[in-house]
Amino acid sequence: MTDSNYDEIMQLLCDRLSSLTNSSAQISPETNLISQLSIDSIKLLNLIMEVEDAFDISIPINALADVQTVRELVDLVHKIKSAS
Amino acid sequence: MSSTITKLNAPLTQAFDFQPSSELQLIPTPTLNTLAQQLAGFDTLTSALEYAAEGVTGYNFYDARGNLRSILPYGLLRQNARITAQRLSGFNLPRGSRVAIVADTSPEFVELFFACRYAGLVPFAMPIPVNLGSHAIYVQQLRGMLESSQASIALANIDYIGFLEEAAAGVRHIAWVGTPAKLSELPILDVELKSNHPDETAYLQFTSGSTRTPRGVVITERALMCNLQGIVRNGLEIKPDDRSASWLPFYHDMGLVGLVLAPMVAQISVDYLATRDFAIRPLQWLRLISRNRCSVAFSQPFGLKLCTLRVRESDLKELDLSCWRAAGIGAEMIRPETLRNFAEKFASAGFDENAFLPCYGLAESTLAVTFSKIGRGCKSIQVDSKTLIDKRMAARLQADGRKQNEFVNCGRPLPGHIVKIVDENGQQLSEMMVGSVLVHGDSVMTGYYNNPEETNKALKSGNWLDTGDIGFLFEGDLFITGRRTDVIIVNGRNIRAQDIEELAEQQPEVRSREASAFGVNDEDGTTTIVLVIECRLTSVAERQSLIIRLQQLVYMAFGVNCVVELVPPHTLPRTSSGKLSRFAARQGYIQRTNLTGQLSFVESGDR
Repeated sequence: MTDSNYDEIMQLLCDRLSSLTNSSAQISPETNLISQLSIDSIKLLNLIMEVEDAFDISIPINALADVQTVRELVDLVHKIKSAS
Repeated sequence: MSSTITKLNAPLTQAFDFQPSSELQLIPTPTLNTLAQQLAGFDTLTSALEYAAEGVTGYNFYDARGNLRSILPYGLLRQNARITAQRLSGFNLPRGSRVAIVADTSPEFVELFFACRYAGLVPFAMPIPVNLGSHAIYVQQLRGMLESSQASIALANIDYIGFLEEAAAGVRHIAWVGTPAKLSELPILDVELKSNHPDETAYLQFTSGSTRTPRGVVITERALMCNLQGIVRNGLEIKPDDRSASWLPFYHDMGLVGLVLAPMVAQISVDYLATRDFAIRPLQWLRLISRNRCSVAFSQPFGLKLCTLRVRESDLKELDLSCWRAAGIGAEMIRPETLRNFAEKFASAGFDENAFLPCYGLAESTLAVTFSKIGRGCKSIQVDSKTLIDKRMAARLQADGRKQNEFVNCGRPLPGHIVKIVDENGQQLSEMMVGSVLVHGDSVMTGYYNNPEETNKALKSGNWLDTGDIGFLFEGDLFITGRRTDVIIVNGRNIRAQDIEELAEQQPEVRSREASAFGVNDEDGTTTIVLVIECRLTSVAERQSLIIRLQQLVYMAFGVNCVVELVPPHTLPRTSSGKLSRFAARQGYIQRTNLTGQLSFVESGDR
């Protein structure tokens, strides 16, 4: 897995997040999904489905308990993708 | 005839077609059993399993892609549970000791649950973490349940054992924490497993995510058997060719009692999908029902809403839902529109709206209290809004054009149970009058474990259970109009206002009794949680930081967004005893924010 994949994941997540949240604010790796983007449970399910489909992975539910920022989510997806 | 049986007897290994190259060539347990069906009537859970084990039916577990991952016929469940029980005997625990199990949708959970009963221990299911960033709060919630139950053993599979070990660190009473794999390394003791007595506790059911005051409902074998018999004989009228499908979590009463234990005491097969997999792709549940010709499947209204919202029109043609005869709906207030929208969308896939089966119940009465008539669909009545508010009475609508409210008929109590409606003073009200819903019968809990204060609030004299719900009776049928202000239901989840207030009070800026939480509904029925805080901070930055922190905490604990309003001290209305009144706090908030259309008649104040 090269770094370009990491950037690709980051790019896709930022794009999806900005359309899901209709937010005009700039989304950065440090953006907090909960306090800044107000990702509710329905939006979260949509996001997980899209990420799983886009990268052909399965995100374990227990791992989300340690995710708060965009970077943490990208790290998680990257880790699962690299292991698969 | 014979071709129908062949079809019913051979549910497909895969719930849908792609990915045919699965290594596992598992075959799901059949729908038709080799054993004569006995609809409940057993004296304990283990005696019910001893009978079911003689047949060929059982539990089936599917993954997110719809592939069958494992099967657990009742015969194998009995065998594995007895072996695990002999391992548990090695701990030499007194009968009735509690065993905590993190309940993901897996065969291991079910085996452990029954193993506890064979060993004379009391299991209880703990939730899995479902919210973003919830690590710390989830660990606190687990710890609250371990402490409150005084559990001796705590188990979680490999995905959750880390959280559990953190939660169990330093908790008194706990003798052993581990995974099912670690437990299976312990020796099998050659001890005789004693049968259980109907008066013994069968399990605990936790009903609150509170870290300070968790409430573990105590259900005896007798209560459980009574409720299960009512469900399978009277509520569902289970037949030998029935089959269930479920995505409901095993740590909720409807998932555990309704879709794990009830099918077993009627010896029918069940197909499971993990809750997470349903929530992300609700179509999978409908595919399971369609492919395996399932006839009994329950959901909260929110689950139906997810299906209506997320299933694409193009997916409908592969579905045939005509087999689904009992679409049970419960666990939250039922709005008729939710059911109408679902029926409209899935009519072309063969869904029959007469399959809707509204029911009412709660963990404190094991699970079910009332069932509407099976096969009749959802019935509702329209009542005049003004009379409802002014006189707290449900008057059937006489003329068009008046403002009206529609309520769903939840049916009649199970045999041996009585429902009555009372006013604030506990006086019984006549038909059509709106008041608190009280339940009496053998399914009612013994109390909350080790929590006399909460028990006394819920169990009134004569062993009447105060459900906390508001409603009326009409021709013997129960209609629920709302909940009292102490419980807020958002997206199908019950959240106690007190639990949210507790979270707020853990912040250094918030004093105890200066936070009030409640729900407000908008026109389409969406509920928003509002948290009003009396706040002495003057700096804009500090105030903003508190608001963001509180929103984040509530999200991490309950997975919902909330509105935080900071008000000056002494703004929140108090009762004469100095207690905050959520009802009055909510009225105040509605006035301040000029919200219209708020249904204030559904609540009668705090418990």
